[in-house]
Amino acid sequence: MSYYFVIVGTEDNPLFEYEFGTSKAGGDGQARFPEQARHMNQFIVHSSLDIVEEDQWGTGQMYLKCIDRFYNNYVSCFMTGGNVKFMLLHQPPSSSVSSTANNPRSSTSTIATNPTSPQTEEAVRAFMLEVYESWVKTLMSPFYRVNMEVRSPIFRQRVAAAGRKYL
Amino acid sequence: MQSFDQDAPTERVSTPPPMVISALRNPKNKVRQSLGDSLPLSQPEMTLPYRRSHPSAASLYASTFSPPGSRSQSPSGRPLSTRTTSSSVFGVSPNNGLALAAGAGDSPGDPLNLILRAFVPHVATYCSEDTDLLLKEKGFDRGLWELLRPFGERIQGKVIIRDSNGSSRTYEDYSLQFTRFGEGIVHPEPTTAGFKNSQVSRANGVSEKPNDPVRLSRTGNTIAEVEAVVNKHLSYAEESFFGVPHSPPSHGFGMGAPSPYYALYLRRLLSTLPLTPHETFAHPVACVMAISSRNQTPIETLRRLYTESSAGDKRLPNWVDGEFLRYYVLVHDEERDDITRSMSLFDQMKRNLGLHCHLLRIRGTRSLATDDDSIPLPRCEWMSAAEELADLRKTEDHEGFEDPTKYIFESDATAIRTFIREMVMQSIIPTMERHVSVWNDQVASRRRGLAGRFVGLTRRWGFGNNSRPSGSGSSSGSNYDSLGFYRSDTPEAIMRKLADYAFMLRDWKLAYSTYDILRGDFNNDKAWRYHAATNEMAALSLLIMPQNLSSKMRAETIDTMFEAAYYSYLSRCNIPYGALRCLVLGLELLRLRGGSSIDDAARWGTRLLESKMLGPVGDALIKERLAVCYASKDGIGTQGWGSRRRKSALWNALGAHTWLAQSKFIQSQRCLNEARRMYSDLPTGHSIDKFCHASAFMLNIGQELNENMGGADKEEDETSGEESEMVDEESEALGGRRRRASSLGFPAGAGTANLESAPLRSQMSDGEVKEEEEEDDDDDDDDGDEGGEEESDEESEEEEEEEEEEEGSLERGQERRRGQNPGDAKDDFG
Repeated sequence: MSYYFVIVGTEDNPLFEYEFGTSKAGGDGQARFPEQARHMNQFIVHSSLDIVEEDQWGTGQMYLKCIDRFYNNYVSCFMTGGNVKFMLLHQPPSSSVSSTANNPRSSTSTIATNPTSPQTEEAVRAFMLEVYESWVKTLMSPFYRVNMEVRSPIFRQRVAAAGRKYL
Repeated sequence: MQSFDQDAPTERVSTPPPMVISALRNPKNKVRQSLGDSLPLSQPEMTLPYRRSHPSAASLYASTFSPPGSRSQSPSGRPLSTRTTSSSVFGVSPNNGLALAAGAGDSPGDPLNLILRAFVPHVATYCSEDTDLLLKEKGFDRGLWELLRPFGERIQGKVIIRDSNGSSRTYEDYSLQFTRFGEGIVHPEPTTAGFKNSQVSRANGVSEKPNDPVRLSRTGNTIAEVEAVVNKHLSYAEESFFGVPHSPPSHGFGMGAPSPYYALYLRRLLSTLPLTPHETFAHPVACVMAISSRNQTPIETLRRLYTESSAGDKRLPNWVDGEFLRYYVLVHDEERDDITRSMSLFDQMKRNLGLHCHLLRIRGTRSLATDDDSIPLPRCEWMSAAEELADLRKTEDHEGFEDPTKYIFESDATAIRTFIREMVMQSIIPTMERHVSVWNDQVASRRRGLAGRFVGLTRRWGFGNNSRPSGSGSSSGSNYDSLGFYRSDTPEAIMRKLADYAFMLRDWKLAYSTYDILRGDFNNDKAWRYHAATNEMAALSLLIMPQNLSSKMRAETIDTMFEAAYYSYLSRCNIPYGALRCLVLGLELLRLRGGSSIDDAARWGTRLLESKMLGPVGDALIKERLAVCYASKDGIGTQGWGSRRRKSALWNALGAHTWLAQSKFIQSQRCLNEARRMYSDLPTGHSIDKFCHASAFMLNIGQELNENMGGADKEEDETSGEESEMVDEESEALGGRRRRASSLGFPAGAGTANLESAPLRSQMSDGEVKEEEEEDDDDDDDDGDEGGEEESDEESEEEEEEEEEEEGSLERGQERRRGQNPGDAKDDFG
């Protein structure tokens, strides 16, 4: 499973982008997006903002779960208090790959293969919460202003660590 | 609703300058418009400056050429504008059927209208040899059918239909489809393949002719043919690049008028439904039996025609109900035959054959374009894809191909119209109504209610099965025998026919309830074709019904029905045509319901794309359509919450990419412009350009388009420079929200873009202009509180213009822009 994580500011501007792969089930943590999917990922996430804008009013939770699907890409969202959205696009591997790699380890592969299962939802929630924590800490920097891109390497490391830990 | 001058800056491929049109206008246009209120040929026919083929070919392409797009531009043709905004969170009126009822039939390209006109009663024609001869002399090689067909597509005047409750409704837009008797039959594949040759032919009483070209062409690759036709139209538009009075940017908010190519795609998909056992739309409701006044033994000939149609070699297979109405027509040749003799013969016919008779008086000679009172025979809109393909190929093969338009005398046209109207009003509709009520009482009512359920149950368990009239067939207790069809006299077949009749008479409620009963029956019998078709029609009739559906009901009923239909069509029966039709129509009807149904519609559209059964053209068209679909969902408030503008833009961008890959540059350009417009309409200032890869992708498409269309632009620019400025001023007066940006920057494109509205505007009647103004005012009132936002809109628009200029050097441009924009700089560096 490959992940594309992006933090979207209030003006639909990406503040932070990060691609990674699953570390569970023997994954090496590398994203396996095809080359031409670069722009598609951005398009998909951007278009999912439409759904976010609608769904955010329907629930009291900050974690909106899996809100959208585009072909084989699933998008989960986490709203922060400042109308900044954490968007996670997950793309399960195409069936041929998954059958060879994931079958032996059935217990953990549910996260990798089934993006809508409760386990996956939970894992994504944990990931989001952890990222949120580091996000809030980053925002506390006195030099940060709204909708500024976050370039801090420490934040990037933390996101990577959270990804390794949960996804 | 945005007025369309807003589209101008980004739109480039468009209507040619008016002078080009007028200079090149075909002399044929002066033909009187008497033939029809809405027939495509009566529109000014455009000829093109740069074209290889013969000018007359243009008339073949008329369907995508001008009318559907341009006509739906009229303010009255917006069925969706009445809709209340809603979404699952922001409003709880997700579907009102009102829009459906109100908007039907206004614009000919409108999908609902297409659906209504596709599922219409089919009338077969069966003529004696002397009639064929007469019509051949008149110039119609394919007989009476060819002459009548275009007139069946629009019946003059109102048609009154009584529904099952006895209340009457009038319809202005009723139509018929004429077929040739015994044509287009698709035989079911028997469930056990080995029996095919021996059993089917014996059981049907029909000798199968496997080499019959007509049959072969209808059964197989319909989708491929449809694709080929649309592809030809598209290529033609590309070739004749800017002579094209191309459809204006009709994809506005909530407007959803389809592109002419999409309308064509749908029409070809739906035209000439095959004569199959599992649905009875193509089964003849009536058959026109025609003899001519030249016949020496008229009554005997009519008797012979009757016997041939009900017994013998030519009769329809036994899954078609043979008890259809026979309508006897005496074709009188005004020029060669004596009218008194024909009158007396006609009286004799009435005495012998009952009231379903008509005396059709036409002139026997061929009419020429130069004749005084000749009018062009309207081109048939609902011909099959195969037929149109053949026509188009013929044009390509012969350079000196003569004008395919046929001419008839005006008196003939009047006579035929009267004939068809009389036949429909006095014979066909009453007969159908009678059948519906009889079948409803005798067959269907037994299955409704509690008792009906028990009948269903007992039937299923195999006892008390007294409803089967004939004992032959299978031993399993169902009427579905191993041959793979229900005979026409089984209750299932009759009920299916009842439902189809009700559907054709637009009694959606009765149709739905009957389909609903049948769904279960076919499922129990494992008659998968029937199952699929019935599920499809049940869902469609439920969606057409002007009644609100709760989202729960939608999820439970409609989704399961579409799911069942889709699965049965595709996986169990391998009929991709059915699956495609089902999903496309479902998409359209769901879209029309508005609100949260639009998400469902889009879901089915995506499903269709995933299924991989579309060809490249269909793929691109559906993507484009998804964009329209998403765009027709309105948001709430100044931020447009709950709208799907980003999604719409995404699909437009994908559509542009797909068209580009097929080198359909005009379409690609249009999609791209639409995508840009959508992005620039977003409440947030910068559209997608902060996402670097995505905006680079958009720029790339634009750049490639510029390379491919660049040469042409320059030439046109010269002719159109002045024109554009003039128009610019004019429209400034009309709408307050006009953007000036269009006349600056963007060297080639902007000029032509403005032109696009020029011819339209000049044609517009005063009333329309006024309406426009009013609408603009309304807009302004509505948007009064979002002044700031509009400014930001304009800003982004200008940014886009910059983009256009700098497309040549992409990276540099991006950097510069980042540097230039003060807001961004602040964001970046804090």
